[in-house]
Amino acid sequence: MLKKFKPYVMLAPVMFIILGIFTMGLALGFFQSLGYFPAVGLKEFTLRYYKEVLTDIGFLDSLKFTLYTSFVSSTLALIIGVLLAYSIFQSKSRKGVLYTIYKLPVIVPHSIAALLVFNVLTQSGILARVLFYLGIISEQTQFPSLIFDQNGIGIIISYLWKGIPFIAMTVYTVLSNINDKLTDAALNLGANRRQVFWKILLPLLMPSILSSYIIIFAFSFGAFEIPYLLGPTSPKLLPVKAYIEYINPDLSHRPYSMVINMVLASYSLILVWFYSKTFKLFSKFDEIS
Amino acid sequence: MYKIELKNISKVFENKRVLKGINLIVNEGEMLSLLGPSGCGKTTTLKIIAGLFSPDCGDILFNGKSIVNIPVEKRGAVIVFQDYLLFPHMTVEENIAFGLKMAKIKKPKRRVKVREMIDLVKLDGCEKKYPSELSGGQKQRVAIARALAIEPKVLLLDEPFSNLDTRLRESMRIFVCDIQKKLGITTILVTHDKEEALLTSHRVAVILDGEIKQIGTPAEVYEKPSSPLVADFFGEKNYLEGEIIKGFFVCKMGKFKTGFDKYPRVMAMIRPEEIELTDSEEGSGFWGRILSKQYAGDKIYYKLSANDIQLKCMANSKNMFEANQRVWLKIDFEKTIFFKAEKS
Repeated sequence: MLKKFKPYVMLAPVMFIILGIFTMGLALGFFQSLGYFPAVGLKEFTLRYYKEVLTDIGFLDSLKFTLYTSFVSSTLALIIGVLLAYSIFQSKSRKGVLYTIYKLPVIVPHSIAALLVFNVLTQSGILARVLFYLGIISEQTQFPSLIFDQNGIGIIISYLWKGIPFIAMTVYTVLSNINDKLTDAALNLGANRRQVFWKILLPLLMPSILSSYIIIFAFSFGAFEIPYLLGPTSPKLLPVKAYIEYINPDLSHRPYSMVINMVLASYSLILVWFYSKTFKLFSKFDEIS
Repeated sequence: MYKIELKNISKVFENKRVLKGINLIVNEGEMLSLLGPSGCGKTTTLKIIAGLFSPDCGDILFNGKSIVNIPVEKRGAVIVFQDYLLFPHMTVEENIAFGLKMAKIKKPKRRVKVREMIDLVKLDGCEKKYPSELSGGQKQRVAIARALAIEPKVLLLDEPFSNLDTRLRESMRIFVCDIQKKLGITTILVTHDKEEALLTSHRVAVILDGEIKQIGTPAEVYEKPSSPLVADFFGEKNYLEGEIIKGFFVCKMGKFKTGFDKYPRVMAMIRPEEIELTDSEEGSGFWGRILSKQYAGDKIYYKLSANDIQLKCMANSKNMFEANQRVWLKIDFEKTIFFKAEKS
């Protein structure tokens, strides 16, 4: 009997944090999004805030902008990361050096990455100065506005700076564990190098590619610091919008913030569901070596 | 059907000469075994024929035409690998169709060929299964079907049965031989298992330390090994040094009649199963003493001593002798293989 409960007892501390703090926080946020916030006198459950937020053009613009920056940055990071991993895998020399260099951005915090991108890409940044020094541009304004711009280029570049090495690292690890004799077998059956990549290696990498894509997509969708530091004034990305609503001195605005947070949480849940589905999809060919 | 010729093929890996001038001819429709211990260069030879490695020197001819500069994917020499190497993300039928797809064969034709291969390797009902859902024997059949589907010029089998259990290995061996006979495809089998080589091949090439030491029919290489090295590869042997004088083999044990007179100083090779043990003197032989006995069911392994020379003997378990017992060793020296003795 004691044996039966032992795992639960051992899991209790972490379960306390997950259920007690995380779930409680989520539940409180959910209640507040439904208008139940007794501390400021809101005691009735209502869908009014959902209706207002979900029909607000500003919110919809933010949602579109958030999905756009997440999608573009994650997709580009995926394509470049996979190609980078494959080229490192193929390179016979300097593999160790390359492997170390590309891992570096992974350990740098996002706020530092934002600062680096800011210093390099602003109109008075390092890149603009280098171009000016080389005589390619004659004044500051000739350098395109890449930071605080409505196309989110600064945000996307920051996410790429972090996302590409993450994808490359994940994919490279899986790639180096794939039995290289499979490549021999495919070549021997008439495939050329390109076909080996598309027909053998890429499908075998798919579980790790999809899961790392979902991770960076979910992260960029919910991340706050980079859009806060590098994003445009309008439209704001959803996490920034939720934060601004949250710090509004008028506490009756809190449910609006919580509705936005619930939208973010719902997207995350969908991604978690998709993540688990991905693994089920590929479980039949789990032996990669 | 293709004839394969290897001309003076050499290969060096990390300053080690793995192949030292291999010369080999495999006739059209023939099944030849490359037999040798691990690390002797037999798989390297196979990969060179397939185009996965390029030789440092030498040439490879298919029906008289050099193929050494033809890339692996266009060479038409397909390997069935030791560890099957089925593509884990493809079903059985997708695996079999892979080579056809690469050759841009149209879907309807592909389907017909895949069906034909599935019937050939008797894998009906497994078409939609993934490799992880198959047994070892089934995986091996898929690997064979996948190789045969593209109608290769040459089939190369790289220790294809070594991962299978004894019973399955036997049935797969018969299965592969039947297919080879049916299709008449020129085949090279790489193996370290002498029994497998002797049972399956038209000819056997014994490869030791990167060199082909002997090529012949299974009976030739077993019965008439060209050197003690080849002979030892087929199992433990006894060697007696002596001289040939007027048709007689004279050694420490005595003087024995033999039809051999090629070299004056010789080494007689006596297989353990060629020594007959009796408790009384009969025929040509000599006395010895049993040192030890190992019982192995249908046979018994003895270690004997005769004139301070240790000999190994394998006898059936009808007449059992005990350790320290005096026995008569009866040997027919007229059937013995003699090698030229090394200069001492």
